[in-house]
Amino acid sequence: MLLEPELRARLERLSLTNRRRLRGMWSGRHRSKQLGESLDFADYREYNPGDDFRRIDYNLWARLGVVLVRLFEAEDEMPLQIVVDTSSSMEFGEKFATAQRLAAAITFLGLAAGERVRLVTVPASDRPSLRGPWARHVSSWPQMEGFLESLSPEGGTDLPGAAHLMAAAGAHRGPVVLVSDLLAPGWEAAVDLLGSLGGGVVLHVLSPSELDPDFSGDLTLRDIETKAELPVSISEAAVSRYRERMQSFVAEASARARRSGMDYVTVLAGPEALTAALRELVAAGRLT
Amino acid sequence: MSLLAPLALALASLVIPLVVLYMLKSRRQRLEVPSIRMWEDEEQYVSASLPWQRLKVTAALVLQILALLGFAFLLARPFFREATLLGPHTVLVIDTSGSMATAGRFAAAQAEARGLADDASDAQLISVVDAGPRPRVVTAFSRDPATVLSAIDGLAVGGGGEDLEGALRLARGLATPDRPTKILLLSDGGVEGALLEPVSDASHILFDQVGDNVAITAFGTGVPGEGAANMFLEVSSFSRRTESISVQMLVDGLEVGSVDIELAAAEREQRVVPVDAGIGQTVEAVIVEADDANPLDDRAALILSGAGDLAVTVTGEGSPFLDALLGALPGVHPAVGEPPDVVVIDGGSAAEIDRPAWIIAPDPPPEGITVTGRLDNPVITFQRPGEPILEDVDLTSLAIGEVQLLDLGPGWLRLVTAGDVPIVMLGEVNGHRVVYFTFDVVRSNLPVDVTFPILGARILDFLGGNRLGSAATATAGTPLSLAPPPDGSTVVTKPDGTSVSLEGNVVEFADTAAPGTYQVDYLDASGALVEHERAVRQFAAAEAPGSARQIATTADDTADAQDATLLREWAPWILALLLLVVLVEWWVAYGRPSPWRRRSGAGAAV
Repeated sequence: MLLEPELRARLERLSLTNRRRLRGMWSGRHRSKQLGESLDFADYREYNPGDDFRRIDYNLWARLGVVLVRLFEAEDEMPLQIVVDTSSSMEFGEKFATAQRLAAAITFLGLAAGERVRLVTVPASDRPSLRGPWARHVSSWPQMEGFLESLSPEGGTDLPGAAHLMAAAGAHRGPVVLVSDLLAPGWEAAVDLLGSLGGGVVLHVLSPSELDPDFSGDLTLRDIETKAELPVSISEAAVSRYRERMQSFVAEASARARRSGMDYVTVLAGPEALTAALRELVAAGRLT
Repeated sequence: MSLLAPLALALASLVIPLVVLYMLKSRRQRLEVPSIRMWEDEEQYVSASLPWQRLKVTAALVLQILALLGFAFLLARPFFREATLLGPHTVLVIDTSGSMATAGRFAAAQAEARGLADDASDAQLISVVDAGPRPRVVTAFSRDPATVLSAIDGLAVGGGGEDLEGALRLARGLATPDRPTKILLLSDGGVEGALLEPVSDASHILFDQVGDNVAITAFGTGVPGEGAANMFLEVSSFSRRTESISVQMLVDGLEVGSVDIELAAAEREQRVVPVDAGIGQTVEAVIVEADDANPLDDRAALILSGAGDLAVTVTGEGSPFLDALLGALPGVHPAVGEPPDVVVIDGGSAAEIDRPAWIIAPDPPPEGITVTGRLDNPVITFQRPGEPILEDVDLTSLAIGEVQLLDLGPGWLRLVTAGDVPIVMLGEVNGHRVVYFTFDVVRSNLPVDVTFPILGARILDFLGGNRLGSAATATAGTPLSLAPPPDGSTVVTKPDGTSVSLEGNVVEFADTAAPGTYQVDYLDASGALVEHERAVRQFAAAEAPGSARQIATTADDTADAQDATLLREWAPWILALLLLVVLVEWWVAYGRPSPWRRRSGAGAAV
């Protein structure tokens, strides 16, 4: 079980917000880029044949002699897509377990709010492809949870390819939550593309020992994902330089996400990661 | 120092490959990380790809070289020669007589024997002989150290005398022609004259620890009084200071009185102590709160035995002293209207001896003896030790006015002599026991000596066939004669309280070296008690002085003894050093805080 009942009960009291206007296929609770049938007045325009007579503003017609019809704001659903990085690099430490819980929490939040939610994984293959179900009601939570639990970190990932595929499916434009360690090549382009779909959040999952390595000496480092090996002599100075590079990497990821219209949260993998991430999202205004 | 296997030193050349291994680059430990991208800039710090590196002399390298050299040295089996007393076959003759209880001599002898047994190699055989009053072989031809140590530890110092001659005879009997045998006598030397010197084929290890000692040197029945037994008590000091002691008298374990005695250094005191005890009771004398060198001689016991009637007649001149003596001895009565059992010839004719006789300066002497002259004021020079008749009696200070000079035939045992002149003799005339005094008792100070009644009782006891004596009381080491019932068994309880069960066909119990009271219970076939008796084994008074002397031997002059050396290897010390080196190396590698040591919780090692 990824989310305990008590945690789900607490999550039901939160709701996702979106800063951009949406353009969904179905009506919903979020302001749309289109005009529609809501109670919120938006504008006037001249009457055209075929317009609904009920929208003609007769007061203005009498006062100005111009037949104008009232236009109202439209409210669409918010298609929420959660991209979970299942590459082997997520196997390190508690990163993948943390990613599963983060994705589960966001999924449950969306379902509880009646949003259309999709869990997306990007299997490593020659041709980029997306995999994952859509759901719209909280009754679909068990299936979504089961899908998340069935995932395991293995192989590589093609984040840019996945982002291109999601951008190509324009009908589902909406906020994207990317749960990843961003150690895949081309992560920068992926973040740019995903941000252009409707903003969203980058949950950058890192292991504490990734940020502050606790080994030293003459070692052969082996990339858990690519299996490439690198002989190094790790001294205190080398560790210090590594820390600086990691800080730069985190800063670059944060800046890139914000330029793309996405919020950015660094999540340190561990038991308290979910609580800390939710607190950050509340502080960023993504959760109310 | 020499080496038994010097070729093993070639193993020290393994130092070269060890150093080469240190010059080779070590294989790096693999560590999985999520991505090596962030570490790629560090690759420039990896040294060149040559398989060699400059040798760094580390503590681990030094310790490993030391361990390797030590191992090679160990395999080379270094040894040194150590002089040893052991031979291919060594017989340890350990003195367990009463004098060895003085000032820890026996414990020191046991320790020495244990040390010798430990030193023995696998090729050396060891036998152990108990040189107590009845010598015995404890273990023979053993190459098992545990067996030898067990035999040595099983020995116990007793209260009897030593039979060194017999023990050496046993030891020589263990010699085999195929293997040179060395005899080591671990002893304080025994009493003077107990051994014919010099002793050949044996080495003597002397134990001569000394200490102040006070001993009960004689304890026997004296002249019985009215309804009471008079105990003869002699206490001797072998101390360098004046000793004030108290001797407690006990009858069947209950205190009935005590005697306070003050003894000057090297002095002795004789007392006749009346004790309210009857026949069959055990009388004990104990020096209370004695803190001296030999605890075994602080206690003496005696079982008052019954005496049958002995008819005695006195012929010749006679004397009031003899009359008083005969009248006072229990069970002795004048032969009136009956043939005497023993005749005392005091100055009369001893020409015809037809019964046991105590002959005192007879005229004429018995057949086969001729009086050749007389000697005035002889000086006693010898009193035969261990003689039952002279037990508790010291005649060395006897003053005599005149003695007969005799021409003796064979068969006479001289108990007391003045030079070559016999003073007291034992012999047989016409098949009858005879005690011969060559001096007139009246012309000596014997009648006024406190031991005169004891001597008289012993003589009549001997002549009467031991009827007055107590077979139950004897010196420690004297076996107990047993008379178990048919199909029955015997249980002997020793002075220390331990019991020994004996089968019905066992008629002698020889483990009587410990002084004290022995309880003998005779059981029938069903295990029911049929009869019981007690016996006492006394500390041998001759052992009380605790004198020690070096026994002259000829064994040390032999070439074998001079060349006897032991090859002792250094292996245990080298092994200990190697262990220390390995421990230090372990500490250097794992126990010492090190900046290079990998901390726990690092990435997963591959």
